Amino acid sequence: MSLLTIRRAKGGFLRPPWWFAAPALAVYALVVLYPTASGIVYAFTDWNGIGDSSFNGLDNFSKLLQDDAARGSLVNTLLLSVAIVIVQNGVGLALALGVHTAIKSRALLRVVFFAPAVVSPVMVAFLWKYVYNPAPDAGLNGILGAVGLGGLRQDWLGDPSLAIWSVAGMVVWQFAGYSMVIFLAGLEGVPAELHEAAMIDGAGRFQRFRHVTWPLLAPAVTINVMLSTIGGLKLFDQVYAATNGGPGHASETLSTVLYKQAFVFGNYGYSTAIALVLALFVAAVSMVQIFYLRGREVSA
Amino acid sequence: MSASFERAALSRRGFLRASGMAAGAIALPGALAACGGSSGGSGGTLRLVGVADQQKPLDLLTKAYTKSKFNASYAPTDQVQTSVRTQLGAGNAPDVHVVFPGNGSAMSMMQISQAGLLADLSDQAWTKKIPANFKPAFQRDGKTLIHAAGASVIGAIYNKKVFQEAGVEPPKTWPEFLQVCEKIKKKGKIPIALGAQTPWVTQLISYALVPSTVYAENPQFDSQMQAGSATFAKSGWVQALEMYLELQKRGFFNDNPNGTTFEQQTSMVATGKAAMAIQVSAVLPDFRKAASGPDDLSMFPVPGADDAAGVWIPAGVVVGLGVSARGKNRDAAKAFIEFLGEQQNINTWAEAVACVPLVRDSSSKIDPVLEPFLSFMDGNRAVPFMDQNWPNAEVQPAHFAMVQELLGGKTTVAAGLAKLDETYRKK
Repeated sequence: MSLLTIRRAKGGFLRPPWWFAAPALAVYALVVLYPTASGIVYAFTDWNGIGDSSFNGLDNFSKLLQDDAARGSLVNTLLLSVAIVIVQNGVGLALALGVHTAIKSRALLRVVFFAPAVVSPVMVAFLWKYVYNPAPDAGLNGILGAVGLGGLRQDWLGDPSLAIWSVAGMVVWQFAGYSMVIFLAGLEGVPAELHEAAMIDGAGRFQRFRHVTWPLLAPAVTINVMLSTIGGLKLFDQVYAATNGGPGHASETLSTVLYKQAFVFGNYGYSTAIALVLALFVAAVSMVQIFYLRGREVSA
Repeated sequence: MSASFERAALSRRGFLRASGMAAGAIALPGALAACGGSSGGSGGTLRLVGVADQQKPLDLLTKAYTKSKFNASYAPTDQVQTSVRTQLGAGNAPDVHVVFPGNGSAMSMMQISQAGLLADLSDQAWTKKIPANFKPAFQRDGKTLIHAAGASVIGAIYNKKVFQEAGVEPPKTWPEFLQVCEKIKKKGKIPIALGAQTPWVTQLISYALVPSTVYAENPQFDSQMQAGSATFAKSGWVQALEMYLELQKRGFFNDNPNGTTFEQQTSMVATGKAAMAIQVSAVLPDFRKAASGPDDLSMFPVPGADDAAGVWIPAGVVVGLGVSARGKNRDAAKAFIEFLGEQQNINTWAEAVACVPLVRDSSSKIDPVLEPFLSFMDGNRAVPFMDQNWPNAEVQPAHFAMVQELLGGKTTVAAGLAKLDETYRKK
């Protein structure tokens, strides 16, 4: 056995020294770890963004528990996340299955469905404000009227009980194509011979999806559910640009509340506390999701 | 083996070279920023950050001012509020930057000056001419801390053709106002366009009515609120909000005001689909741009009282400029503010944004549509915009949310004002 083989077997020969990573780690520490740690410190202060600050213990966190607006925004955030995870992934999967067939225009359709995902969310929100124009002859209301569904016209962003779902619709429109691409990657990995074997055994289209495709899509489901959950929990741009959290506080999310607390009200300490809670919450939800979804993943 | 060693040696050298280049790349922006900073500091270039509304007058006036060069940038209010406040916090504020008059916003004169970040302008000649009723917007503890060129008013911007077609004239009392709206509605037009999806638009009808329902009867209301002896919930605010909702109940607004934006509101009035919008005079240029001709539009004070003599109006100092107290170019920046305070420059600014000049002389040209407001301002029947005297930055957004909830039927006047009182008392 040569020296080379021994060193390879131990796995040490091609492993670079740890300090090779030092410059990257230093930059990472400077632009990520240090600001994050500083942010955590501010969560325990009464800093207003421009003056001196003093430590106020857990005051910001107890204020958060009693804050009606923050609690309402937490409920909105959870509702939005659940709606987005279910609908976006449902639509994304349907689109992926649709363009994974042999239809001629599949390449074009893939591009068309994915295209909204490359547009800035703020731009999408501004465009959708026109789609959601409440005038009876404009935007979506105009289309509904033109096809004889005038009775379904709505004040999409102005009705407090509808605004949050209108925002969810906008997000799903933009990112369903993104989910589609990840599902497509999963579908490409399903071996054709498994489908052939199932067909020989007499399995129908639904049975093949249920017993062959769906179990093998589990890794794509894990990624999609996790990404859409994280996206939903930290949703800001679309809400801020489309409704600014309104009407009233009807579509406020945790992210818009923490933005307003910092940059509109000047309560930087409190805002940082909300951000810290949000970050921990997103991390916890993501870890629980990974734990459960990974458990059902199988390989072909 | 030797090949592996060579590869390893080569990659290490390559790595170090790459590291050096990366370090250079990281250091470069810092070095460039440092160069930019030093040239800005010592080369007489003033860094100026304003809101979009200030661009037109400042483009004219920075060009006319020869003693300094300017590195100016403008952006919408919320963006500027975020970026300038962050710069103030980080200690690298622009030499001259936007400041909102009075109190009530995170970028207001009172809030920023608490941290000692605004230079004292009291020794400048123009400050001696600030009218007494406007002083609270400019001064803290007797020191003048911002410059602003004049006052905007809130009233009804109306389409003259629609008024003519309906055979109505600008009203002088609240009952007349309701009659005018009724006649316009009968003609098949929307009497009042309301774009309440845009948060700041929600406040304007309250602001137009409250001077008559609150301040005409109790001019000391603000000081009583500050002392804790008055509340919104037990004041003329109740009446004003009920009047606001009466307009909605009678069908005088466009459908779905909470889903309608400022831009849509502007378009409705400019194109004659709606007769009027209750708005601040500072947006007159936007309405004129959208209309077929600038003379299609005019403006009248909203009569918030049954008796013409009891009508008061809101007139607020326009968004101003402050000088960074800790900036290297403080003296040059103060000199520019002194230039802005000269009468001809006040006039230039006021003409550019269609406001009433802070101080008037024979050369002051006032936009003719503002003429009906002057007698109120000269007769002490005008009060600053309400938020300019509110003690914290949360009250104004709470007012926006309350109005949207009232229009959406999600709260009552009593509950909404109780919440507003609670927000006002927050430390």
